[in-house]
Amino acid sequence: MSGSKPDILWAPHHVDRFVVCDSELSLYHIESAASPEPKAGSLRLSEETAATLLSINSDTPYMKCVAWYPKYDPECLLAVGQANGRVVLTSLGQDHNSKSKDLIGKEFVPKHARQCNTLAWNPLDSNWLAAGLDKHRADFSVLIWDISSKYAPEAAVTTEKVRLSAADPEGGLVVTKPLYELGQNDACLSLCWLPRDQKLLLAGMHRNLAIFDLRNTSQKIFVNTKAVQGVTVDPYFHDRVASFYEGQVAIWDLRKFEKPVLTLTEQPKPLTKVAWCPTRTGLLATLTRDSNIIRLYDMQHTPTPIGDETEPTIIERSVQPCENYIASFAWHPTSQNRMVVVTPNRTMSDFTVFERISLAWSPVTSLMWACGRHLYECTEEGKASSLEKDIATKMRLRALSRYGLDTEQVWRNHLLAGNEDPQLKSLWYTLHYILCLAQYTEDMDQKLTGNKGPLVYAGIKSIVKSSLGTTENLRQSRSGSDRQADIIQYLSEERSLALQLCGWIKKGTDLDVEPFLNSLEQEGDWERAAAVALFNLDIRRAIQILNKGASSGKGDLNLNVVAMALSGYTDEKNSLWREMCSSLRLQLNNPYLCAMFAFLTSESGSYDGVLYENNVAVRDRVAFACKFLSDAQLNRFIEKLTNEMKEAGNLEGILLTGLTKDGVDLMESYVDRTGDVQTASYCMLQGSPSDVLKDERVQYWIENYRNLLDAWRFWHKRAEFDIHRSKLDPSSKPLAQVFVSCNFCGKSISYSCSAIPHQGRGFSQYGVSGSPTKSKVTSCPGCRKPLPRCALCLINMGTPVSSCPGRTRSFEVIHL
Amino acid sequence: ELPPSEFMQVADSTWLVLSVVSSGRASSGCQATGVTKIAKSVIAPLAEHHVSVLMLSTYQTDFVLVREKDLPVVINTLAGEFDIYKEENGESVPVSHDDVSNGFLKPKAAASPTVHPVQSPQNRFCIVTVAPDTLPAIATVLIDVLFYSHSPPKEAGPGSQDLDTITFFAFSLIEGYISIVMDVETQKRFPSDLLLTSSTEELWRMVRIGGQPLGFDECGIVAQIAEPLATVDISAYYISTFNFDHALVPEEGISEVIGLLRRRQESSS
Repeated sequence: MSGSKPDILWAPHHVDRFVVCDSELSLYHIESAASPEPKAGSLRLSEETAATLLSINSDTPYMKCVAWYPKYDPECLLAVGQANGRVVLTSLGQDHNSKSKDLIGKEFVPKHARQCNTLAWNPLDSNWLAAGLDKHRADFSVLIWDISSKYAPEAAVTTEKVRLSAADPEGGLVVTKPLYELGQNDACLSLCWLPRDQKLLLAGMHRNLAIFDLRNTSQKIFVNTKAVQGVTVDPYFHDRVASFYEGQVAIWDLRKFEKPVLTLTEQPKPLTKVAWCPTRTGLLATLTRDSNIIRLYDMQHTPTPIGDETEPTIIERSVQPCENYIASFAWHPTSQNRMVVVTPNRTMSDFTVFERISLAWSPVTSLMWACGRHLYECTEEGKASSLEKDIATKMRLRALSRYGLDTEQVWRNHLLAGNEDPQLKSLWYTLHYILCLAQYTEDMDQKLTGNKGPLVYAGIKSIVKSSLGTTENLRQSRSGSDRQADIIQYLSEERSLALQLCGWIKKGTDLDVEPFLNSLEQEGDWERAAAVALFNLDIRRAIQILNKGASSGKGDLNLNVVAMALSGYTDEKNSLWREMCSSLRLQLNNPYLCAMFAFLTSESGSYDGVLYENNVAVRDRVAFACKFLSDAQLNRFIEKLTNEMKEAGNLEGILLTGLTKDGVDLMESYVDRTGDVQTASYCMLQGSPSDVLKDERVQYWIENYRNLLDAWRFWHKRAEFDIHRSKLDPSSKPLAQVFVSCNFCGKSISYSCSAIPHQGRGFSQYGVSGSPTKSKVTSCPGCRKPLPRCALCLINMGTPVSSCPGRTRSFEVIHL
Repeated sequence: ELPPSEFMQVADSTWLVLSVVSSGRASSGCQATGVTKIAKSVIAPLAEHHVSVLMLSTYQTDFVLVREKDLPVVINTLAGEFDIYKEENGESVPVSHDDVSNGFLKPKAAASPTVHPVQSPQNRFCIVTVAPDTLPAIATVLIDVLFYSHSPPKEAGPGSQDLDTITFFAFSLIEGYISIVMDVETQKRFPSDLLLTSSTEELWRMVRIGGQPLGFDECGIVAQIAEPLATVDISAYYISTFNFDHALVPEEGISEVIGLLRRRQESSS
């Protein structure tokens, strides 16, 4: 101050008033100014507020520091510390009631004049005013004055010695005897009372911070530090204190006062003010010289600092309330995060520091965010909304409906998933066929030795590759037509395996598609059935299917028209039929109908119209390709299609890739696209051999899905998943956690037997493996005493009696 | 920073500054301040251990200067009574004294130190401070007083034990704190509202120690002045300069002090 930089103080209770002090004290009244035109004489502080100057007090020259009386009444009582160390009570305008009349003008004079650096009112006993002074060799630097004390009589005795130059006319107003004197031969730079006790005073002395206890003034706790400026106690955490030195703020915990619990990043310029926000916990504002930025340090997430090791995290922010340099700032005592700043030329600005917004997703798709003291929750609106449900919602519903857990009829899982996603449907059918074939080939393997097993899992792409050169051609006409046509079909063992995977034919070597057609008819999928029939060169069957479809209840009458068109099929290359069909087919909405005419009108060997009809299911296109494409063409087509599927993350492509590394790649792009780790986990768990399970991506999906289930608190679902997983992936089985221990020696039966390998007996020999055919041990391998008894029949375990109903149960325990 | 000059004489050793910080064990009741306060605890023990000290009292505090080579002795001597800190980069670091405590000579039977004559000029002094930010306001007066107001010293006739007046002006600026010791005549030249002093505005008389330049090696000079004053509880400022030492005592106490010191002089001679 002293004419240089203005400081600013909010009234502690009359929250619409503040004082700006430089060489004089100016009281302002702040009010909201809704109108864009400010009232005459008022200063605009922000878009909403303006301040009016109420009064000016220039009675006190050489002001060094000012402190506002902390109690409600008298209202505008201020203590001013002067350059000569005197502390003067003064007031601003306003009605002088009797209480303040006695006080105003009162002076508190130290024995030796030197600058008064700081003032602090005791928050509990508001008669106590602490003043911090510069050093004097023989005097005290912390003086606590009692503002209610009268002119000290003992001082009057020594009047002849007192040659007070300003022999005060209002003698009763000068107090020279402080209540307490502390800090002899030291300097005091900053002060604050500790809220813990009325008689505890924290002082920033020369090179140390000291806590004075007025109950015993001969004792003080102190710590040597340079950070002695601006001590201030956190209003929300009374053991936390901030102080600063040049550009560095130190945060102290009074319970562990040896050194700062943390220091904030050093600023290049010296700090001028550090203040805790009175309305938010752990928010510290700092200001440096020649800066238009106020830095805020958010220690909200700092738990009570404990020990040296835990360096708490602080979030640093800065606000720039105005263009000019800021001389000082003051937090509003009650209005949240609000402060007024003042610039050296006394322009002021009122603003509110915007609260950090923290945001969190709940695991069930609702969103929470907090701003200041407000907490908002956003939830997904109306289930009937046209927007597709979030994948998390879908996964959650699917988990509830036991999606993925149907291991008997694997294809049914798509129904559990809601039967709305064609890709999932395709995926689960693919997995179904793979598992059926794997089972079948395994059964076959017991009789014949073959190696189709792994091939089944490897997908059509690998199957087709392996079929190179084994293919037989078969010329066949489209049955029902009169002319011989040269349509070449290809056959091989692998191709028929592929067709089985596509679901066109049943397992075994039977090439009959009739069961498949029947099942399609049952589902009312007339167009697809017709197309499959046609691709199997049975036009009559196709027409028959279409007719059936047209006549069925909900069928489309147009199917009859299509049937008519089909029946007109001619092989004639230049016929009108062919010409019209090839152009008009494009107008058909149904992709299968379209593909049918494409097939009929195409040249032999070039079926692009069918193969690249993207709306036809991949499995049908692949089955078609397996029938009609030569080895080279087939390979090229499959390769191309596989890559497309992988890129798009289309689950239909699992048919091609199988559960291989390619399949994981495809699944990866699917997961990238949808986030559906649930399907990915369940799908990959079916993989065998378990190579794919070792892929770290797969493990990652599985772990994420488990975490997701945990986050939803679906503990049972997660347990079910773990059981399901351990069945399919034995390596994920958790280690045994329950053992049977011997009653006598306390050792685990299984442990002791595996721990004594020199006996040459395996684990199963002790009967704990549960196989009844193997020899059993009836005594503990450790101490040779009998094994524990069955709780129900009281027969010792391992006793070869099969009639005991409880026995198997006790073995189950061992199995755990 | 000063250029070497043939006109400048420099004492040949490096001096370290000791400053006594009160530890809060307030000497309540003891009104005497300054050198008096530390006479028994610091000055006397150092004198006993033959450590030569210089003193510099300011408005704010007292500094004791000791030679760097004497530091181990100083630390050892004072460790019993004080916690000793060394200032490193502004942080106070405790100095351990164990490593230097062994093998030190016990104080030899104190050879009775030379008793120096004391003189007391007639002028009255005041000790004041100035707020650092008002220093520019007194700069011209300060420069005038320091460099351009030299009146030839009016020495009293040889043999006279009392100086008439002495020209003495001490200005120090230590760690941002300003301290000025000057006589009342000089003080009148400064704007009075900028000078800060004690509320009683007490005035001081000077005792100058030494008939001829004291040198830097002799020990016990401060002690022989400070100890008698401490015994009778009279405050004193003590300022050592290149040639002489000066003690400032309260105006009212000067006759007692002179009497005391003269008696001492007589008793030793």
